[in-house]
Amino acid sequence: MDSFTSTRRHFLSQQAFGLGGLALASLIRQDELRAAPVKPLLQRRVFDPQQRPPVHRPQATAMISLFMQGGPSHMDLCDPKPELVKHHLKSYTGDIHYDNVGQASTKLFSGPWKFKSHGECGMELSELLPNLGGVADDICLVRSMHTGISGHETGISAMNTGGDGRRGRPAMGSWLVYGLGSENENLPAYLVLRDPASLPVLGAENWQNTWLPSACGGTVVHAHEPRMANLQPPGSLRGATQKRILSFLDQINRKHLERHPGEADLAARLKSYSLAAGMQVEAREALDISGETAETQALYGINDAATKDFGTRCLIARRLIERGVRFVQVMTGDQHWDHHGGIVGALPKVCRRIDKPSAALVADLKRLGLLDSTLVHWGGEIGRLPVIQNEANIGRDHNGRGFSIWLAGGGVKQGHVHGETDEVGHKAVTDVVNHYDYHATLFHLFGLDLKDVNYARPNAVTNLMAGQPGKIVNGLLKNPV
Amino acid sequence: MKHLALYLCVFSAPLLLGQSSAAAEKSGPRFETEVRLILKAHCWQCHGEADEKKGGLDTRLARFLIKGGESGPAIVPGKHTDSRLFKRVASGEMPPGAKRLSARDVEVLARWIDAGARTVRPEPASLADGSFTVEERQHWSFRPIRRPPSPAVQHGQLLQSPIDAFLLAKLESRGQGFGPEADRPTLVRRLAFDLHGLPPGPGVVERFVSDRAPGAWSRLVDRLLASPAYGERWARHWLDVVGYADSDGVTQRDRPRNWSFKYRDYTIRALNADKPWNEFVVEQLAGDELVTPPHQDLSAEQAARLIATGFLRMAPDGTSGSGANQELASNQVVAEVIKVVSTSLLGLTVGCAQCHQHRYDPITHADYYRLRALFEPAYDPKHWRSPSGRLVSQWDKNVRETVAVIDKKLAEITSGKNAELEAAVKKAFETRLAKLPAEIRAEAKAARETAAAKRNAKQKQLIEDYPFLSISRGTIQQFERSIAAAIRKKWDDQSAAVGKQRPAADNLMCLSEVPGQVPPTRLFSRGDFKQPREEIKPGELSVLSPVGFSIPANDSKLPTTGRRLAYARYLTNGRHPLLARVLVNRFWMHHFGRGLVSTPGNFGAMGTRPTHPKLLDWLASEFMQSGWSLKHLHRVILTSTAYRQSATRREKLDQIDPDNQLLGRMSVRRLEAETLRDSLIHLGGRFSDRMFGPPVPVSLDSVGHRIIVSNNRYDPTGRLLTKIASIGSEEFRRTIYIQVRRSMPLGVLTPFDPPTMKPNCEVRTASTTAPQSLMMMNDPFVVRHVGELARRVRTEASDGPAAEFDLAWWLVFGRGPSDFEQRTGLKFLQDETAAVRAASPKDTDPALTALSHLCHALVSSNGFLYVD
Repeated sequence: MDSFTSTRRHFLSQQAFGLGGLALASLIRQDELRAAPVKPLLQRRVFDPQQRPPVHRPQATAMISLFMQGGPSHMDLCDPKPELVKHHLKSYTGDIHYDNVGQASTKLFSGPWKFKSHGECGMELSELLPNLGGVADDICLVRSMHTGISGHETGISAMNTGGDGRRGRPAMGSWLVYGLGSENENLPAYLVLRDPASLPVLGAENWQNTWLPSACGGTVVHAHEPRMANLQPPGSLRGATQKRILSFLDQINRKHLERHPGEADLAARLKSYSLAAGMQVEAREALDISGETAETQALYGINDAATKDFGTRCLIARRLIERGVRFVQVMTGDQHWDHHGGIVGALPKVCRRIDKPSAALVADLKRLGLLDSTLVHWGGEIGRLPVIQNEANIGRDHNGRGFSIWLAGGGVKQGHVHGETDEVGHKAVTDVVNHYDYHATLFHLFGLDLKDVNYARPNAVTNLMAGQPGKIVNGLLKNPV
Repeated sequence: MKHLALYLCVFSAPLLLGQSSAAAEKSGPRFETEVRLILKAHCWQCHGEADEKKGGLDTRLARFLIKGGESGPAIVPGKHTDSRLFKRVASGEMPPGAKRLSARDVEVLARWIDAGARTVRPEPASLADGSFTVEERQHWSFRPIRRPPSPAVQHGQLLQSPIDAFLLAKLESRGQGFGPEADRPTLVRRLAFDLHGLPPGPGVVERFVSDRAPGAWSRLVDRLLASPAYGERWARHWLDVVGYADSDGVTQRDRPRNWSFKYRDYTIRALNADKPWNEFVVEQLAGDELVTPPHQDLSAEQAARLIATGFLRMAPDGTSGSGANQELASNQVVAEVIKVVSTSLLGLTVGCAQCHQHRYDPITHADYYRLRALFEPAYDPKHWRSPSGRLVSQWDKNVRETVAVIDKKLAEITSGKNAELEAAVKKAFETRLAKLPAEIRAEAKAARETAAAKRNAKQKQLIEDYPFLSISRGTIQQFERSIAAAIRKKWDDQSAAVGKQRPAADNLMCLSEVPGQVPPTRLFSRGDFKQPREEIKPGELSVLSPVGFSIPANDSKLPTTGRRLAYARYLTNGRHPLLARVLVNRFWMHHFGRGLVSTPGNFGAMGTRPTHPKLLDWLASEFMQSGWSLKHLHRVILTSTAYRQSATRREKLDQIDPDNQLLGRMSVRRLEAETLRDSLIHLGGRFSDRMFGPPVPVSLDSVGHRIIVSNNRYDPTGRLLTKIASIGSEEFRRTIYIQVRRSMPLGVLTPFDPPTMKPNCEVRTASTTAPQSLMMMNDPFVVRHVGELARRVRTEASDGPAAEFDLAWWLVFGRGPSDFEQRTGLKFLQDETAAVRAASPKDTDPALTALSHLCHALVSSNGFLYVD
């Protein structure tokens, strides 16, 4: 249908003005925003990032996603395959979906790492992830993830920006913020803690809001100080001086708004100044880990060069969640886990960097009583193939047909393993979780029905699913529906 | 919903081959317009296009579906529940993978089957490549451009430009009309930002406001169009579309492209000179084919034509990186170039057809390679030329001769230096050898003369025991420090003195072919360059290709193949349905904030339809008839009633048209990133109007986060090595002259949605975010130019806070303050001066500090950040 619907600008456009932007929030009927049937197309609506209630009782109110870009090798980390050990270096006769046909081989490869069971649940994990073993009873390991697509870009699109693998769609975090708003007026609802070395594949597209209101986009936090640009006024403007300037600015902006009734972008900017002023104080405090005890810092490995960076970012993620940020994503750098070659040497190094802080985050959230309401996600966009890529320098090629992620807190089962891949780890075969099922489940945990978090665009009504049939995966839930 | 339906009638282009919706209800969905599109998007790849059709099923024609495949008929007309196709898709079994048909699509299939699975027209006997349905061929943007007559309107007195009639007719049909004209200061400001991207000076405003003679507006338009700032502003728009950058991108190193800037300057000059766009397009696609090789001693015109092909050199290019997979990287460059060309000139996204038939538009797999064949003689992955290997020197004969003489001298100096060092080495060696015990001298000498790899154990030992045995020109300073240093200094000084006379390199970046080298272009199975198939001849997309049109594979009259030239001339022959429409739509977008087609890079099935199709065609036709003159088109648009409307919303209009698609008012627009930076510098009075030349460098500041206009140097780990002295007024040049390093976007631009060149930017967004506010509040760049503005106001205003306030207001907003604003502002200034005095007793000029705080608030305000 070539209908005529609201554009973003339209979406931001709004009703009566003359009232200041600061009073805007109270004017807004939030329930219109994600309303299940999209309202008659010409009705004007407003987006405001303030908090709004979910549709049904939520189990999670915040999420930390540790995004392992590149594709961790599940067979070497958390999906042990005795058959692979048995047939190590033997030719595989089954059907393999290669990405790089040029370097493809049919030889199965079993990594040199031992698996061991952990916790009361007996979850089997690789010796590369000793710390994760320590929280095995708190996590829910999904061994049957499936997107059906094996490229990085398309895989990221599927896992992280929802949809069907096509690019240019709003990030999952943007949809979440769009659906629920923010709990803290002084912090962006969606923050991204980037890696010091590089941005992941797709760069800033990973946290884009695209056609959703701009308040839904991810704000980047740098890997070292100053972590956010312009967070501190120059000395001459600090304190009362800037307050006076902002107060005068607000006055002239309101006068200007009176002459432009109904221009939502103008009103949104008034609001963005007050948000910025609040952020100066609150974000600086939230990003400063110096007040954390030595014990906590050690838990995250901040005293160790290998884990210092990722640990610091995991700790900041916890601090942000504590302060009401809805969605925090901790990103690994460009192709951090993309081991096409030299996997035997490279994988342990990456694990050494990531394992301890990841496990610390779960343990820390738990002891602070935050794990129940915070959903933690750990995983990449793809997994890897059980066969060798590049015999000269052994690695593994992409695999979108079966891989692992783990979740913790926020209403998912604890000490639980869900699903299976085939005997060599190539394809998810039992209790398959497609990326859209994962998203539907995640939104359910937040008290939303993903099908109802809709946004009208000129050509179509859109949502995170992009027309895909997401099912809530009961097997992951503490309280199945 | 009733008035919604009315609205849809007005806005959606009438259904092709018009079939009423009631009829559609009875006969079910149409195969040609609905069912086929669903099958094409989801099924064709395996069940149709592939040579080996899965399950023997071809889903491209209705009769093929009825015939079915190995497991029997795919559909049973009249009974969707008995139809395999329906069962498979409804259960989610098909298509395999993540993608599913939407519930609506499934329903369409079911209704079509139930209604008898009929087609509107008889189906073709065979499915040759490029056989499209009538609907596909008749897609609105593929139809010829015809100049429509001006529609009749009720309020003819409102028409000031031919475009007004098209807009007003539509407004009147909805019971609306144009809004009132904006006041004059608003108009000047709107025009200044539109044409120059800079605030109008107070003089410009006053002159227009007081010019009450008829034609004042046209005179203002002409004045601004004649200024060189016009070309700088509008070149930026084109550079977005072509993906301009001063670096290669792709790799971590992001190699700088030192000669890109000549293309940027070429674009600015072309716009200022109002170069006809047909020539402009031909030069950019095929300028090199207009210049006879060898590319030496180029006239200015020849050089410009070569530089113009920089258009085809803008794509990210990872082929300079060592260790890159060259074949992959070079094929990616070609793909990116095709993307830039197709989105910028054709308004189509052809990328999908790289791997298979386009899912939505009638573009075949072979079509993609027809386009690729246009470029392959110049971009040949089998004989790839690296970016630096394509540069053409602009040194003339005299310079070349001078350089040859200098280089000869330099070579002489080097050999002189080497000879003298060699002699010193010999002497040092012999002196030392003489001191060795006589019995090992011969062996020591032999060890020295034997190549390192061939030395025996004893010789190795000798070398280790007597390091002087390996003395050489490179190591002599370890043995004869002062002698070596003296020799080096003597010759190096000479070399430096001569080297200084060597003229700096002067190259241009272009696309060119190697005469005689005509590689075959092959269709790549599934887009994989490792799976080449049949050879494809160059040509236009088959759906657009006129009967009998072909592009010569190798024009014997030209030293090059002539493929791009033939294509460029065909594109600009005045009959191509897309080029002029796509161009004028973009020009319109820059004037009004949105194109008549709101997806300027996609005029295909997935793009939006024009809000005013006739107006679009009229503009395209007018553009071509005027000799492809953009300045003419500017005048036509800018002198309209529509353009001069006030931006104030009206309640009734807003109810039916909140997005302002009808243009019953002007839209309020935020300044773009570059405009904001340029304007802040301009207000502060430090603005440099120097034009053209190499890009002003960007680098990290000393903290290592903020990318600023500077020339700081870093070690490989990112630590600041040297802080280079200030680059002076270069820092204050317009943003278009600042280096566009893909990996280092200028810090003050990033919050305000600058274009990302991956590979090009079709349309910018205008977000409203807290980082923008933080930047306006705290960024050192903003604080600095606000301070400059305050000092400027202090200098230029006659005495007293009132005059200073007035001037600051005028400069920032292009108009005087209202009484209320003046009272509020003066009170702020007074209170602020007192507050500064109280808080900072050491401040010798609290009034000036207060003035800068005032200026800070003014430039942070919506009155400045938006144009209405």
